[in-house]
Amino acid sequence: MTQHLTEDDVRGMAAYARIGLDDQELAQMTVDLNSIIDTLKPITEFDLEGVEPTFHPIGSLSNVMREDVEQPSFTQDEALANAPRQQDGSFLIPSILGEGGDR
Amino acid sequence: MPDIMQMGVRQIREGLAEGEFSAREVARAALDAIAERDGSVHAFLEITESQALEAADRVDAAAAQRALDELGPLAGVPVAFKDNMNQEGTHTTCSSRMLESYVSPYTATCVQRAIDAGGIPLGKLNMDEFAFGSSTETSAFGPTRNPWDLERVPGGSSGGSAAAVAAGMACVTLGSDTGGSIRQPASFCGVVGVKPTYGMVSRYGVVAFGSSLDQVGPFARSVEDAAWALQAICGHDPRDCTSQDLDIDFLSAVREGAQSIRGMRVGIVKEFLEAKGLSDEVREKIQEATGKLCDAGAEIVEVQLPHADAAISAYYVLGPCEAFSNLARFDSVRYGLADHGHKDLSGQYEASRAAGFGAEAKRRILLGSYLLSAGVYDTYYYPAQQVRTLITRDYVQAFEKCDAILAPASPRTAFKFGEISDPAQMYLSDIFTVPINIAGNGGMTVPVGLGSQTGLPVGVQIIAPQFKDANMLRVAAALEQAYGTASVAPEFAGEKAGE
Repeated sequence: MTQHLTEDDVRGMAAYARIGLDDQELAQMTVDLNSIIDTLKPITEFDLEGVEPTFHPIGSLSNVMREDVEQPSFTQDEALANAPRQQDGSFLIPSILGEGGDR
Repeated sequence: MPDIMQMGVRQIREGLAEGEFSAREVARAALDAIAERDGSVHAFLEITESQALEAADRVDAAAAQRALDELGPLAGVPVAFKDNMNQEGTHTTCSSRMLESYVSPYTATCVQRAIDAGGIPLGKLNMDEFAFGSSTETSAFGPTRNPWDLERVPGGSSGGSAAAVAAGMACVTLGSDTGGSIRQPASFCGVVGVKPTYGMVSRYGVVAFGSSLDQVGPFARSVEDAAWALQAICGHDPRDCTSQDLDIDFLSAVREGAQSIRGMRVGIVKEFLEAKGLSDEVREKIQEATGKLCDAGAEIVEVQLPHADAAISAYYVLGPCEAFSNLARFDSVRYGLADHGHKDLSGQYEASRAAGFGAEAKRRILLGSYLLSAGVYDTYYYPAQQVRTLITRDYVQAFEKCDAILAPASPRTAFKFGEISDPAQMYLSDIFTVPINIAGNGGMTVPVGLGSQTGLPVGVQIIAPQFKDANMLRVAAALEQAYGTASVAPEFAGEKAGE
C-alpha cells in the first residue's frame, strides 16, 4: 500500500474539517484513508486530454430565477427551535474575540 | 378478511372503495404489524401513530364521498420514509447522533406529495448514518436486520426502507439513492426499488449527501405499486431547481408491460458480466432473466460500457467531496449536537463534530477534505469529473443501440453482520449501481427469485436512458410476469396468510 498520507497530514485535514480526533482514531483513520486512496488510482491513469469535465448529470440545466418577492418562511422562533443554545432571539456561541470569556 | 399487510396499492384502493375495510383499519393493521415485527427487524426509528390515524381519517372521509380517486394515487396506502427526509414534527436523525434530537420544522416535497396523495405515514426508517454505507450497519441507533434472514444485513443505505416493505410493515416506502442506496437493499431484501433519473423527484427537504448524485425513489413489493408511488412523488418543484417538469405515465407503462416489451431492445453488458467479484448465482440469474426477456419477445443486444471500471473510483472521489461540503452545515450552533465544554468556537466545532459523527461519516468527510485540497484537486477531483464525461458518453452511446440495459444490482446476495469490515471492500458492493448515479440515468431493481447457492433473494437492475424511466418499468413488468410478484419474506408472511 502506498503511503499517501501521514498522521500529520490527517491531523491537518481534521483540523480543516473541524473534527477532533484522538491519537487512536488518528492512527486508524490514516490507515483507512491510505487504503481508500489506493483504490482511487484508476482515476489518475486515464488519458483525459481534451475531455471536458461534467459537474452535473443534466447538461441542459441553466440558472433558475424567480421574482424577488417575499415568500413564506420560518418565524424567528421556528428558526431557533433546534438551536442548542439561544439568547435574545439569536443563536448563542462562545465569544469569538479575545481570550475566551464564555458568556 | 385477507391480510391487509400483504396487499398492494390497487387491492387497498378497491377494498376501501367497496367498503371491505376502512383506512383506519389499514392504519391499525400497519401499526400492529410494526409492533409485532419490528422488534426483530428494527426498520423503524420513529412511529408516527397520530399522523397515521389523522391521514386515515382523511381517506375515510374521501371514501365516504366516493372521492378516493380525487385524493390521489396512494389513497389509504401505508407508507414510511427514510430518516433523511424531513417531515414536520418528526425527528429527522439521518441515523446520526448529530441529529438525534433534531425535530423537523418543515416537510420534504417527496414526503408531502406521498401524504397529499392519500398515503398513511407510519414513521421514519433506519439507514446508514447520513446514507454512508451499504449495509445499514453504520446507523448510530443499531442496524436493521434482513427479513429474509435476521443474521444478515438488509443492504444500505436505505436498509430500513427495504426491510419495512419486505417484512410487510408498509406497502410503499421512500428511500434515497446516491450510489445504489435504493437498488442494492431492494436486491438484498427481494423487493422492487426504483432510482428515477436525476431530476425526476424533488430533493427539497431531503438531507443532502451528494447533491449531483442524490435521487429519491420508492420501494414496493410490485412494479405496479412502485409506479403508483412514482405517479405521486415525481414532478417539478420550484424549491428544487434541478427538478424537471415532465409528464410520464408510469402506470400505463406497467400495464402495457408484457406486451410492449415485444420488439424492445434490451442491452447486455459484457464488462458487467465479466466483472471481478460477481458471484456465480447472480450471473446465473442475469442469464436466466435475459432468456425470459427474449422469450417475451425482447431483442437482446450486446452493448459496450468501456469505462465501467472507472465508475467506482470516480464515485469515491465525487461522493466524499460533495459530502464534505454538505456536512459542513453541522456546526453545533443552529441545530444538531453541541458540546458546550469549550471556551472558543473552534473547540466547540471540533468536539461537537467529533461526538456527533460516526467513523464512516468522519472517513468520508476527511477523504473529501483531502481530495479537495490544493494540489490533490488536480490529481483526483478534476479528472474524476472528466471521467464522468466518459462514463456518461458510454451510456449515451449504449442507448443508441438499446432501449434499456439489464445488469446486476449487487455482486452478491445479502452478507452477514460484520462480514465486510474493510471500508474499501464495502465500497465494492456498489460497483454496478454507482455508474448510474454518475451518469444521472434511471435504474431500478426487480426481484428474480432466490440464488442457487445462498437461497437468498437476487434482484436484477434495469437501466433506462435519462428521463425514459417508463422503459425500465416496462422491462420490470415483463420480468415480474415471468417470475411472479415479490412477496413478504416467509418469516413474516405465515401467520396471517389465508385467514
